[in-house]
Amino acid sequence: MRITTLVVLFAAIFASSLNAQKINYTAVTIADSIKNNANAVIRLNQLDISIASQRSMNIKTKRVVTVLNELGLKAVDAVENFDKRRTVKNIEAVVYDNFGIEIKKIKRKDFKEQSASGGSTLFSDGRFIYLEYTPTQYPFTIVYESEIETSNTAFIPTWSLLSEYNVSIEKSIVNVNVPQALGFRKKEFNFANFKIKTIVDSPTQLQYEALNIIAEKYEDYTPAAKVFPRVMMGLENFNLEGVDGTAKNWKEYGKWFSENILIGTTSLSEEAKAKIKALVGTETDPIKKAKIVYKFVQEKSRYVSVQVGIGGFKPMLASDVDRLGYGDCKALSNYTRALLEVVGVPSYYTELYGDRDIRNIEADFFSIQGNHAILCIPNADESIFLECTSQDDPFGFQANFTDDRDVVVMKPEGGEIIHTKKYHDNANGQISTGNYSLDAQGNLTGAIKIVSTGSQYQSKASIEKMQPADKDIHYKRYWTNINNLKIAKIELQNDKDKIHFVENISLSAENYAPNTGGKMMVAINSYNQFLGTIKRIRNRKNPFEIPRGYLDTDEIAVALPAGFQIEFLPANFELKTKFGDYKTEIIKKDNNNLVYKRTILIKKGIYANSDYDGYRLFMEQIAKNDNAKLLLTKI
Amino acid sequence: MTLKKITWTLFFLILCCKIQAQNFELGKVSVAELQEKEHPLEPAAPAAILFEKGKNYFEYTSDKGFTMATEVKVRIKIYKKEGNDWATKKIQYYSASNGRETLSFSDAVTYNLVGDKIEKTKLKSDGEFTEELNKYWSQKKITMPNVKEGSVIEYKYVIRSPRVGSCRDWFFQNSIPVNYSEYKNTVPEYFEYNANIKGFLRPKVEVQKGSNYIELGSARQGAQNKWDKEKLSYVETTTIYSFQNVPAVKEEAYVNNIENYTSTLVQELAITKYPGEPFKSFSTNWEAVVKTIYDYDDFGPELNKSGYFEDDLKLVLKDAKSEEDKIKSIFKFVQSTIKWNEYNGYSCNDGVKKAYKDKTGNVAEINLMLTAMLRHAGLEANPVLVSTRSNGVALFPSRTAFNYVIVAVQQGKDLMLLDAADPFSVANVLPVRDLNWLGRLIKKDGTSLEIDLMPKQLSVDYISMNYSIDAEGQVAGKLRRQRTDHNAMSYRGSVKGVKEDAYLEKFEEDNNNIEVSDYVRTNENDLDAPAIESMSFKGSNFTEKIGNTLYVKPLLFFTTLSNPFKQETREYPVDFAYGFLDKFTINIQIPEGYKVESFPESAAMSMENELASFKFLINVSGSTLQISFNSQMNSPILGSEYYPALKMYFQKMIDKQNEKIILVKL
Repeated sequence: MRITTLVVLFAAIFASSLNAQKINYTAVTIADSIKNNANAVIRLNQLDISIASQRSMNIKTKRVVTVLNELGLKAVDAVENFDKRRTVKNIEAVVYDNFGIEIKKIKRKDFKEQSASGGSTLFSDGRFIYLEYTPTQYPFTIVYESEIETSNTAFIPTWSLLSEYNVSIEKSIVNVNVPQALGFRKKEFNFANFKIKTIVDSPTQLQYEALNIIAEKYEDYTPAAKVFPRVMMGLENFNLEGVDGTAKNWKEYGKWFSENILIGTTSLSEEAKAKIKALVGTETDPIKKAKIVYKFVQEKSRYVSVQVGIGGFKPMLASDVDRLGYGDCKALSNYTRALLEVVGVPSYYTELYGDRDIRNIEADFFSIQGNHAILCIPNADESIFLECTSQDDPFGFQANFTDDRDVVVMKPEGGEIIHTKKYHDNANGQISTGNYSLDAQGNLTGAIKIVSTGSQYQSKASIEKMQPADKDIHYKRYWTNINNLKIAKIELQNDKDKIHFVENISLSAENYAPNTGGKMMVAINSYNQFLGTIKRIRNRKNPFEIPRGYLDTDEIAVALPAGFQIEFLPANFELKTKFGDYKTEIIKKDNNNLVYKRTILIKKGIYANSDYDGYRLFMEQIAKNDNAKLLLTKI
Repeated sequence: MTLKKITWTLFFLILCCKIQAQNFELGKVSVAELQEKEHPLEPAAPAAILFEKGKNYFEYTSDKGFTMATEVKVRIKIYKKEGNDWATKKIQYYSASNGRETLSFSDAVTYNLVGDKIEKTKLKSDGEFTEELNKYWSQKKITMPNVKEGSVIEYKYVIRSPRVGSCRDWFFQNSIPVNYSEYKNTVPEYFEYNANIKGFLRPKVEVQKGSNYIELGSARQGAQNKWDKEKLSYVETTTIYSFQNVPAVKEEAYVNNIENYTSTLVQELAITKYPGEPFKSFSTNWEAVVKTIYDYDDFGPELNKSGYFEDDLKLVLKDAKSEEDKIKSIFKFVQSTIKWNEYNGYSCNDGVKKAYKDKTGNVAEINLMLTAMLRHAGLEANPVLVSTRSNGVALFPSRTAFNYVIVAVQQGKDLMLLDAADPFSVANVLPVRDLNWLGRLIKKDGTSLEIDLMPKQLSVDYISMNYSIDAEGQVAGKLRRQRTDHNAMSYRGSVKGVKEDAYLEKFEEDNNNIEVSDYVRTNENDLDAPAIESMSFKGSNFTEKIGNTLYVKPLLFFTTLSNPFKQETREYPVDFAYGFLDKFTINIQIPEGYKVESFPESAAMSMENELASFKFLINVSGSTLQISFNSQMNSPILGSEYYPALKMYFQKMIDKQNEKIILVKL
């Protein structure tokens, strides 16, 4: 009797769920309001994470996506990565047409596989399995399901509600189950502006649900990490590539990392030790010693990334780096640390997010974070950080990749969060001094010296490495406002002590200021015009960020052709806004000689959505004034 | 110094030079090579290949028959850190069971100068990696130890392959200078290869005859021991290609595919002549290539399959009367029903029937199916083998010269080219990847002919604008833009799926922040008609006001500001893919109370042989200006000898566009 009831009950559930599916999978019923701006609609995104023990985590994904057009294909996101410690137990997909009728089943064997090596990684044991599907019609709905089993409990996936622009969500659920003893913790980000319901929040379970989230449009300069919701999760007792670990905070993590991962990685041969000691010689100042060691590492080594198993987290042995002369960020940072140890300079292995976008290690929330390693050298006022993967960076230079962010420094007594060097607006400078003269035909001849610092140093330093023909093209593109440009001389000087990049360029251009009917129109700012446009965005929703400011100053002597007089001289111009300041000035030395002065300061900051139009107009006025013309008439 | 000593020194010097010139053997790195600070001919080079020697030969075993071995020895000098990439070598090899190749590296050593001593560091197993790329291909990588500025590295690798059909291409030229490159192929009389050299630079070629033998007797005849020692002698031909001081290849803008110009040896099996068997020819000439491809199971038989589309086709052709209607209907049917899975190839993968059922397939499935349907409808349709741009121009008869197939159909006297894999292609407007010089049409009887793939018609971009300028210098007006052929195709591709809002925001940004309203798109999906956009616009960034004078460039945001050709000299042809005509008709209303003080003069210019021309006409009547500006590029490809003229032509045309109309207050 009981059995029969059960069967009946089961059958009923089965039938209703089948029914529900049919309703769910048709694209016809999707509300118009949710299709607005959307290239795809996520009907359901369900992530079930169950952690059975410190060494076992199971991740089930079920995603039902209705793809409305070609640009929505990305939202299907049917891809999983795997390796020795992460297996894909199940992966499959079913495709339904507009009306919810099944058109294709895709089994595991029909998924494609690929190595994770590539780009800057020479070799990795990681692989991908992914769906390759050619849609035969739009809209269509795809039901994707996967199950992952891994011992790497150090990496609980971050839950991001919105992972793509122009994708709406009908329903998104995340559900985490974990034994209390493992010490599950989480941190929520940017929940305020989104309707996310916390269903369960206990030490053993966490569950969120979000319904009917309208697609976000991409808006330039949005600091996505500060706007869109996500949840980071972690365990106090975790397993990282086969190594058990325990840490509640960064201090404990640092201690664990030093004692379990870094331990025994810094020994070097007597020969290697003797060599670096000899190189340092009688130098006693720790910073000067560090400079010698850094230069040695830069000359000796190159960046080669090999990621296998724990090697994704544990640096290669310093003795191997010494023998091979290559390694990844971890290996090269740790090798430098080993060498510094030999010459009596303390230094600490440091983990962080290395990226042009500024991203912090979350100071108040420990979990395994970061994607890069550098080396910290303690110093009186401000610690010095060394980028050991670069063969060219000046000592302690960080702009545009590791600057202005929280990083975790592995000190023997424990991990410590330190904020790295901030490059202030004024420190990202470009100082141009130069001249040009015009002849009676409007041909230009000139020379300029440009000195760049800070983040502008970083963007210029690579010019030095270009082949001669590429340098020529680089300058022709840089001065795209000067037609018929011929570069006569390029002299570059990379002063790594001062961290100045100096460009000395001589150039000429025929017909720069066309002489028509005895009149000549001269764009007075020939060397540093802002030529960009800031896109008009109607009803901007999100704030925008200028991650790094800068300061340019120009002083250019202009010699006008004899036999012409100035008919019109652009007025001096000044703007002061919250985004920055801009000023141009033309000083008339005599009838034929002018001095053009310009400064532009752009200020780092996060600005409200309502400020965007103001910023756009500020830049537009700059572009306009940068193109101001001087009018000359033949006498 | 005694005479004897001088003689000795001289002799030694000569000997040295001789050794350096001839002894390209691994392990003999000289102090001079290690000391060299920059490449003598190209001082900016980050690295150079000091020598690269390849040896291809055949090995016989009784169970596998003939297999091919390729042995390569390389010595590379690293001058600068940017050259460090050359310390890593990656080679792919076929690893599926039907024709598995093996690859092994050896003798990999890095040499450095320490003081005046040469330090050797050998590559160990921790610097060698193997990975499976996919079902068919694997890859081995080595990365050399202890490499720094000044290092010299050497390695050797051997690839053994049962796939005697095509030898790997040999690149004499590279992105860094090559001091000496040599390739030696020793081929038994049973095989004959076609060998061709791509690129502008040619190696020296030497041919030698020799003899060799194989020992017959095998596992198959194991019981009859007497056969074991029998020898079969045969003639073998050795061809040696050698090349000294090959300059680095330079990348340039507007190049189709740089490999077309890179000095490379391309070889393919043309004939097999096994003893006691008739000749078999594969790719002796284009006819043989076509025949071989036609006979492939995945080509000819697929083309001739029937019984999968006939019923549906009846419906498709229901209202089609003329030949033209039939072609259009069938083409549209295939194009809209069977989606391209983005795989190239002239052979079918799943077959036409499965592709038809699944509504998706590779290029061969789609276009062979299209051919079959056209034939079924009584039209004379044939497949055309094509090499896409990324595959390089099909210069020499070879099966691998092609990687794509389209369709040619006879309509009256004209031959129409069709490619149903592209969603925006129409007859004779092929996707740019197909526009690669010549294709090969295969007739039903297996014979073939050459087909010119390049477009005959100019792609038009016709823009008409009516706008007025107010006293503040604001412009406002209407714009209509009509695109045909490739212009229409690339426009349709770029707007596909993009929301109109997003498109307009981008359009406004790209055009100096104009403001657009009343935007209408016509014929977006009617591929046979020109794609039309019309809109109203206004903008404040297009005039300059100086005192009482207004300056305006008549083309407004369509003005080309700078010359796309920035290089002073050019090595390779300039490739536009298709000819084009940009045509402007502009009416300008000047502000009240202003008069036209001056305006750009009418002008025309053309390049020699009518390769390109522009014409600017202006007419002023009262407060209205009428402008017509046409510029056309008649030739899709221009040889580098035209480069100076082309650069100047563009500059003159751009100068003309940048001349201003001057308006003054009365």
